[in-house]
Parts: sequence; C-alpha cells; structure tokens
Amino acid sequence: MVRLLQSRKRVFWEALILTIVVFLFGLLIGIFYESTKSSDMNEYYVNSELSLMDIFALNSLLSINSQNCDVLTSSNLEFADKIYQEAVILEKYESVGKVTEHMEVVHKRYDVLRTFLWINTIKTSEKCEKDYSTVVYLYEYFSKDLTQKAKQNVWSKILSDLKQEQGRNILLIPIASDTNLSSLNALTAKFNITSYPVVIINEKHVISDLSSVQELERYLK
Amino acid sequence: MDTITVIYLIYIFIGFYFLFLFILIYIQNKKYLYYYPKPKRDYSLSIVIPCYNEGATIEKTVKSVLDSGYKNLKKVIVVDDCSKDNSYKIIKELEKKYPKVLAVQTPKNTGCAAGSKNYGAKFVDTELIGFSDGDSFIEKGSIDKLVGFFNDEKMGSVTCSVLVANRDKFIERVQSVEYKVIKFSRKLLEFIDSIYVTPGPLGVFRKSAFDKIGGFDEKNLTEDIEITWHLQAEGYKVRMALLSRAYTVAPSTIKDWVKQRNRWNIGGLQTSIKYGRDWFRKGMLGKFILPFFVFSWVIGLFGLTVLAYRILKVLIFRLFSTTYSIQTQTSLIRFEDISLMPNILIFFGLVMFFLSMWFTLLSLFHMKDENRKGENFFVLSFYMVFYVMIYPIILISSFYKFLKGHRKW
Repeated sequence: MVRLLQSRKRVFWEALILTIVVFLFGLLIGIFYESTKSSDMNEYYVNSELSLMDIFALNSLLSINSQNCDVLTSSNLEFADKIYQEAVILEKYESVGKVTEHMEVVHKRYDVLRTFLWINTIKTSEKCEKDYSTVVYLYEYFSKDLTQKAKQNVWSKILSDLKQEQGRNILLIPIASDTNLSSLNALTAKFNITSYPVVIINEKHVISDLSSVQELERYLK
Repeated sequence: MDTITVIYLIYIFIGFYFLFLFILIYIQNKKYLYYYPKPKRDYSLSIVIPCYNEGATIEKTVKSVLDSGYKNLKKVIVVDDCSKDNSYKIIKELEKKYPKVLAVQTPKNTGCAAGSKNYGAKFVDTELIGFSDGDSFIEKGSIDKLVGFFNDEKMGSVTCSVLVANRDKFIERVQSVEYKVIKFSRKLLEFIDSIYVTPGPLGVFRKSAFDKIGGFDEKNLTEDIEITWHLQAEGYKVRMALLSRAYTVAPSTIKDWVKQRNRWNIGGLQTSIKYGRDWFRKGMLGKFILPFFVFSWVIGLFGLTVLAYRILKVLIFRLFSTTYSIQTQTSLIRFEDISLMPNILIFFGLVMFFLSMWFTLLSLFHMKDENRKGENFFVLSFYMVFYVMIYPIILISSFYKFLKGHRKW
C-alpha cells in the first residue's frame, strides 16, 4: 500500500503527459489527412488552371481566325462543367478542413478561376455568336445567417436541377462573393447587387428572388 | 479553426485526460484491486438499518445482515422512521425472533435516511458501526472483507461494491451496468485517496470517528457523500473492498429514476457548497474530489449547452431549407447531400468512444464471479450511447430544483 500512495500524485502527471502525446499525435494525423485532401484538390486545380490557360490561348487565336468560335464555346462549356463538378467534390472535402485552412485557400483559388471563366465568356460573346446562356450564381461563402444559408442551399439545388435539364444550353458558374476578389468586385459593381444570393443570367438579368426552375428558364436563350 | 472546433478539441482533451488517468491507475494497481487486509482482531460491530415503508424488503435485509457471517456482530438496530406501512410490526417480530435484532422507532418521522441513521447510532456502543439500507441485501462474507481495513488507526470508513438486485426491466438492467462502472471507478479512485461516497447499501465506520464528526448531516440529501467528505476533511481515510458486495433495489420507473438522480445531484451540490472553502486544501478532498465534482458539472452543463445550440442551429436550418424547398418545389434531400467524409473531430470522437467502451467492458468483466444477468449487447449499447448522454439533462433539472430550494427526499 505504501507504494500505491507514493505513485498517487505521479499518476496525474503521467496522465497529463500521455494525453498531450496522444492529442498531439492525433492533431498531426488530422493535419496530415487534411493536407492529403487539400493536395488532391490542388491537383484538380492545377489541371483546371491548365484548361483555363488553354482557353485563354484559344481566345487569343480569335483575333487571327474567327473559325475558332465553335472550339472556344465548346471549351468554355466543358471547362465550366469540369469546375462545377470539382466544386461539388470541394464542398465535400471542405467538411474535412477542421484544423487547417487549406481548403478555404483552395476554395478561394477556384473562385478566382471561375471569375476568370466568367470574364472569358463575356469576352467570347463579344467576338462569337453565343448559343448558350451564362448563369452566374453569386453566394456568400462565410455567411453565418441561417436564413441565408438555407436559401443558398435551396438555390444550389434549383440551379443544379436547371443544369441537369438544360445541359450544354447553359454555362453555370457558382462564385463566392465574399472572398474579397478585386476582379469579381469590379465585375459585379455594375449590377448594383444589394444582397446575396443572386443569379445573373447573360449579364442582363439579375435575379434576387428565385422561386422555381421554370422562372429561370424564362430568361435563358 | 472555428469556435465550435476549439470547444470540441478542449472537450476531447479533458475527456482523454480523465480516461487516461483511470486507465493508468488501473494498470499500475490491478494487482491490488481485490486486496483486503486480514483483521488483526475481531472488531466489535453493530449495523444500523434505517427503514421507512420497507415492509416488502426489510425482513430479507435484516436476514442478510444476520447471515453475513461476521463473528463479532453485536447488534442489528432496525430504525423505523414512523412508516405508514407494516414495517414496524415486521421488525418487532424480527426482534422477538433474533436476539441480536433491536427494533426502535423515531419519535416522529425525520424525513430523511440520515435522521434514522443518527437515531439508530445512539444505541451503538461497539468499535465499528455499519449502515445498510432497508432495501439492500448484503452478500455472505462481505463484512469480513471490510473490517480488516480498520487495522489502520486513521481509517474512517470502508465501503463495498454496490450492485443492482432487480434486473428484470430494461431500466433496471441499464442501471445494473451503470452501478458496475461506478463501482469499478470508485475502486480506482481509492488508489488516489479520492473515494467520494460511502453508499447506503453497506458502509462501515469507526464509531469514534463517526461520533467525532457528529454523524450524518440531516440537512443533506446525500448524507453518504457528505459524511465521506467530512471524514476526509478531518484527516480520516476511506477505503473500498471490491470483493465485498451489497445488492440494492434500483428504481424501476423513469419517474423514480429521475427523482433519485435529482436527489443525488442536489445532495452533491449541497456538499460541494458546504466544503467549498476546502478548495486545494484538506488533502485529496480539496485537490481532487471537490474540483472533480464541480468540474464535471461545469463541463457537463456547458457541453450540453453547446450540443443544444448545435442541434437548434441544424433544426432551424432544416426548417428554413424545407420551407424554401416547398416554396420552390425542389427536392428536400438528395443523395449528394449525404457526405461521409471523415475529419479529425470524428477520428478523435471514435478513439474516445472505443476507449470508453473498453473501460466500460473492463468494469463489467474484470470480475469473473459476478452475476451478469441482463447485461446483453442491447443494454450495453444503450448505456454507452444514450444513457450517458441523458445524464446532463437531469443535471439541468437538478440545478433548477436546487435553485428553487427543493431539499426533500
């Protein structure tokens, strides 16, 4: 029993040290896991970036040869579909990001990419005849307001339904508006947007009150 | 990192700390779990049994004490607290039948077990005084395993393993699992001098120590917790003999269970306030027992608040989403919405859950000769997943009752 009493106080420190070791080990595993997922997303991003650069190159070719319009339109649509699918994957991966902020950075980089795509489609429509509609969905990524979050959740579903129905007739670009991107801010300034979420169709119609897929279809080409 | 993640990680850290503390105590002391000293001599002992409306069980209780096999048992004092049933008649008959039994009645109902116990203690003149509840049954040989601890002059009280006697209903079976976990944890706490209660079903006290502290506090709803803290505050030791067993009747309805838990919590609060001045003083009482008690309440209540906040947020979000979905005629939920992507919080939570499960199973299965009636997979799962989550809710109701001045049994 004497030995027991001697070890009495030591066990509190031993438990503390063991807890710190296990906790730090767990945190390191968590950080490693989050980094792995972030690397996966980065890989997607690099490929998407390459696709966008390719589209830019195509865009430059337009000044030389207007026959590239079809290729460019097709590339824009394919690229939009690709990054839309990646956005869905990113959304799932974002639930992984608890300790690090890697996923937030990846999300922001994708927003820049999507803004680039939007600018490019505007440029393309100046030079080529457009047979599809551009649907830009602007939402708030960091919003804490539950009403707004619920609204955005439903809007995403409506837009997803619209995309499924319309296929290549629409180019859907969802962009987070509160990531403080100068290019995006400059681009949206002319629309006088007062609240989010908002849908901009073909840079003409600004819809801030969405009730159905059918309502959106009225504004499409 | 958001606030909720930080709170969650702090909880995980605290949870791991206490779990590892118990695991380390177990690993370092497992050889001594079943140890009980051989008595240097046969200490004289009397057992006091408080009785209020225990007509159905009192005879069995008294017989279990008489049949316990302790040679130097002098008297069994059964104290009727002016029962409304036939308890007093039964104990009077027992008095006639067994010479060691003394049947007494309080002048008026004391309203608490402490009152009857103190009244019965007046008739005791032995070196040791034991207490058992009117609805508890002592296993043969259990007293012999307790008395040897009194070889140590500073030993104030010794307690036993308390197990559930009735295991027919589901609620009784879940409590049976709970009592075994409590019993095992209490034994581990002995190794850091931190036993916080000498439960009613069987506890033996050194009579001189009992008299010195003035017996049980009759204003306290958990007189068995209060007296243990009081003894520790006076420098006495408290020990537990794991192999000594008493069986008690656990609440059979949710209403009775809630009532019992409220009483335990309110009594615990009363005791914590009474000994509040002893923080970080009076040995392990101030350094561990008191902070452990208060801290577990604080983290329990705070955790419940955070959980309620999270659930409320999800519910409001779902309500708004459903409303919008109906308005816009979109699907409420889709397959893509279900994300099974694990994260670090889930990983920590799973490690914690499996370690807790291992500890629970260890508590249940470390004694091979124990009765395991009713401990099936479903009962164990319910205990580990739901039962432990319900307890903080009872805590809220207890706090409310305590603040409203509820002090009744």
